[in-house]
Amino acid sequence: MKARDQGEGDRNTGLPNQLMATNFFDQEGAAYFGELEEALMHGVAGITSEQEETSFCTSRPPTLEIFPSWPIRFQQASKTEGSTDSGSVQNTISQMNSEESPGSRKASSELSGKQKEEVASDAPQTNQKLKTQEKRRLVGSTSDKDGKELDPKTLKRLSQNREAAKKSRLRKKAYIQQLESSRIKLTQLEQDLQRARAQGLFLGGCGTDGNVSSVFDMEYSRWLDEGCKNTMELRQGLEVHLPDADLRVIVDKCLTHYDELSQLKATAAKSDVFHIITGMWATPAERCFLWMGGFKPSELLRVIMPQLDPLTEQQLVGLYNLQQSSQQAEEALYQGLEQFQHSLANSVAGDSLIESANVGNYMGHMALAIGKLANLEGFVRQADNLRQQSLHQMHRILTIRQAARCFLAIDEYHSRLRALSSLWASRPRENLMNESAVAVTTELQIVQQPVDGHFSGF
Amino acid sequence: MQYQAAVAWGYMAAAMEGLNRVERLASESAVVVFSVSTCCMCHAVKRLFCGMGVSPAVVELDHEPHGDDMARALARLLGCHGPSAVVPVVFIGGKLVGAMDRVMAAHINGSLVPLLKQAGALWL
Repeated sequence: MKARDQGEGDRNTGLPNQLMATNFFDQEGAAYFGELEEALMHGVAGITSEQEETSFCTSRPPTLEIFPSWPIRFQQASKTEGSTDSGSVQNTISQMNSEESPGSRKASSELSGKQKEEVASDAPQTNQKLKTQEKRRLVGSTSDKDGKELDPKTLKRLSQNREAAKKSRLRKKAYIQQLESSRIKLTQLEQDLQRARAQGLFLGGCGTDGNVSSVFDMEYSRWLDEGCKNTMELRQGLEVHLPDADLRVIVDKCLTHYDELSQLKATAAKSDVFHIITGMWATPAERCFLWMGGFKPSELLRVIMPQLDPLTEQQLVGLYNLQQSSQQAEEALYQGLEQFQHSLANSVAGDSLIESANVGNYMGHMALAIGKLANLEGFVRQADNLRQQSLHQMHRILTIRQAARCFLAIDEYHSRLRALSSLWASRPRENLMNESAVAVTTELQIVQQPVDGHFSGF
Repeated sequence: MQYQAAVAWGYMAAAMEGLNRVERLASESAVVVFSVSTCCMCHAVKRLFCGMGVSPAVVELDHEPHGDDMARALARLLGCHGPSAVVPVVFIGGKLVGAMDRVMAAHINGSLVPLLKQAGALWL
């Protein structure tokens, strides 16, 4: 433990031997752990000659704050112990490394975990212990605060603790460096994202699908998370029978939340309408019910209405009328979309599908088709508008409590569809194999039957 | 100088012509839809009215003389300057209702039917 290599001094900042000798106790962390060791060794024999050497107190410039989260402690430590700069830190590390043995390594790893906890909780005690250590140092004794001698076993444990402390310091340093580089990466990614989003708007119909659609997918998943929070608030609000005024706030938040989705979809549709209208952002079960890039208002109303009881006569009439007008509007939009599809199909087919058309004609028809695709965005926007208007009208017809239950029902219904999708995706595949095996065997039986008896006439 | 004034006057005249025509046509029938024959959204709004039992008067701007002037006048009335098409635009009882989204919203919130009844386009 006492070996101190002069050769390690390549990282030495030129401190004299005596100062290097004080390294064990001169580091912020080491000093701190030194105090812990005192506490751990309460009642054990006094300090060794190393601590004698630390009686040489010099005023030294404060160490680089590698761990800024421990400012008070290590400043005090540096004042009392005379801390070193990073050069001597590394010096000490190399010294400690040279003294490592497999046994001590194990012990130090065991101790380091405990020490971390103790470090966190021992802040006020440390300051007191620093004072006692200071007193002891001035006295220049080799004993601990109780005046007892320290034996070799204790010394070994001390050194193990120091090793553990050093290791945890190194790990923390590495972790912080990793955090810093990740932070830089994150800001770069955010800049890229901004740029991509801006580009997506400019590129319009022939946009970079990967970029814009993945941006929307991310925003949509964030929207879903917000939705979960709203749903929980609604549920809680209903359970505890919140006063109407408070419930109204939550319900308005839900309505605004749905408005946000329309906005997100409108922005995304400008650059990649196919992604929105084919529902690639939704789960398979939701996609099965997809109507123009979202839910079908009259269908949702049909599902939700029975669960909103009790309703007044007036409300029933209002909701029925809403369902009627939704259906009419949906039908109209659908017919408009059909005409769009007819027109687009005609453009794509062009004059001659069979004879190889000349390039000019082909490109002309394609250009026409692309021009027509711009109309698709209009349909998605009108469909979203229809969905929004339906939700707002429901909100107008119902009381606040009913509206809360209505939105809760809508959220729950959609989340069940999503759950259905994941259940379906994770269904056991062997069932499929069994089914196909059964089908094959029945086929064989059918083939055999004529041979058996049915066609004995032949 | 005189030429510039003449050009400016020409524009103004055309604009006024367009607006006049729009207003005249809008007041001729209970329900008037300004449309373009190839526009799919216009087809949708026509189907909406037909589905409700209303037969609107349709003005196909691409078949009308001064169609462009009328389109510009409609754009100014709606306050839209974007590249998206201005049609369909709906007038009921001579009053402007708006583009497709306004018509949809009016139907959903239940204000379209009373408006149609008031204009005499719907009897029930």
